[in-house]
Amino acid sequence: MEEDYTSLPTSHLLGSVPAVAAEDKTGGAARESSTANLQNSPPANGGYQAPGSPYGGDEQATSSWKGACSISSYTPYFNVDSDIVVDRLITSVYPMNDFTRKIDGNPDLYGPVWISTTLVFMLAALGNCATYLMRKRNEPDIVWNFDVTYVDWAACVIYGYALAVPVAFYFLLQYVGCNASLIRLWCMWGYSLFIFLPSSLLLVAPVEIVRWIVIILAGAASSWFVALNLKAYTDGSDLMVLIVSALLLQFALALFIKIFFFV
Amino acid sequence: MSHGDTIPLHPSSQSDIDEIENLINAGPATVLPAHPPSPQRASIPVSSSPFIPSNLPPPPPSAPAAAFQKAPTSTPPSVPAAESSRRGIAADGFGSPPNTLTEPVWDTVRRDLSRIVSNLKLVVFPNPFREDPGKALRDWDLWGPFFFIVFLGLTLSWSASVKKSEVFAVAFAVLAAGAIILTLNVLLLGGHIIFFQSLSLLGYCLFPLDLGALICMLKDNVIIKIIVVSITLAWSSWAAYPFMSAAVNPKRKALALYPVFLMYISVGFLIIAID
Repeated sequence: MEEDYTSLPTSHLLGSVPAVAAEDKTGGAARESSTANLQNSPPANGGYQAPGSPYGGDEQATSSWKGACSISSYTPYFNVDSDIVVDRLITSVYPMNDFTRKIDGNPDLYGPVWISTTLVFMLAALGNCATYLMRKRNEPDIVWNFDVTYVDWAACVIYGYALAVPVAFYFLLQYVGCNASLIRLWCMWGYSLFIFLPSSLLLVAPVEIVRWIVIILAGAASSWFVALNLKAYTDGSDLMVLIVSALLLQFALALFIKIFFFV
Repeated sequence: MSHGDTIPLHPSSQSDIDEIENLINAGPATVLPAHPPSPQRASIPVSSSPFIPSNLPPPPPSAPAAAFQKAPTSTPPSVPAAESSRRGIAADGFGSPPNTLTEPVWDTVRRDLSRIVSNLKLVVFPNPFREDPGKALRDWDLWGPFFFIVFLGLTLSWSASVKKSEVFAVAFAVLAAGAIILTLNVLLLGGHIIFFQSLSLLGYCLFPLDLGALICMLKDNVIIKIIVVSITLAWSSWAAYPFMSAAVNPKRKALALYPVFLMYISVGFLIIAID
């Protein structure tokens, strides 16, 4: 359609009348003003205006709270494909700092939600198995008992950590003056929990020294990942206290997982 | 006059019942013409009410004509038969809802049960040669999923030796909330799925796990439990796979299917782990 330049400026505007652009602007303004009482909008911006935009503005002003309840307002945060998610998962295992660059344009919440849900399930299930195996080594005649409170504890700890810690750091960073985005912080902390999934599989082995080695390695990798990526948000200003506290928090989570679930 | 045991459905149908009785009392020879030759009554014949397309009149006169043919043989049974055929035609003429209000409860229950069974056959035993693959998607209902979830909760609760009510609560909550969250997940990924239809399908796909839980309740051996749960888990996932994968963009199929597997695996683990 390159030869039809008269329709080019308005061909992408929703609802606009292509013939308006073909005339000169005064004719367009006259035509628009004749229908202005239907649209409740004075012609502005050089004579032609997409008729849908005043309605769009009004809708956005009145539906600011309704937006929280409709699904379409959260769809942009789930705009990822399978291969992108797999790529982000693999990047989270190696504590390099290019994760921030990868999620900068398109942070997703799919990863954090389902990684934390999977982690809750695995901690509850494998924690029971591991505790049973460990006790069976000491007392051979113990019976299997599924402790449902493991599910409660796992859900509270993991969901609470994944939700609250990024929010706390968001407010701290805003207070200090760095510009941070809550969605990216949630995304980064959510993906940082991924390394605990394969390590919880390894933690089932009823050998105490193996368990400690596994959890220390996993905790260190995850903490270093969080620290490096948080540094990318606070680049420039000297906020080592925040970064070190994030690192220690992640390591404390790893130790708690070992001590509570894999006794 | 036996109007006491009938429900007058519409004024015009009441007049038609009067008309039938007049015709029966007048004798069979005057019965055969169609409805319009009773001009003193402004009665609208059932088949030609304003809501009915004009091609309908030919079938109904044959049914009353057949009913009237039986009239001379035995008058009292023919009146209710004519009335019931009239009522049936009246109901079809004005839409079916009045019929389902007056039918016996057993008919309603049997109709719902047959729909559950047919949906189950379409969803859980998908036959590649069936003539209408989308039928289960259109005829969704929530009774089937409700029965299956409650049955699974009850079975797990019976199997548990301690904390029975908490086990039921956990099972019910995980399944119900899980179905809702899975549907939301598909919608957030940009898929096209109808909310209650998806709840219905996910509930029907629980049927194999119900069977597995029942077998595990009867046989308490861990190895058998693991085998049975693995088989039924694979069956449930295989049943749920076509619906979930068809709802989203092919590049996001794994993202939509993974939570389904996660939920079924967690329920399977709950079945194995309950002692």
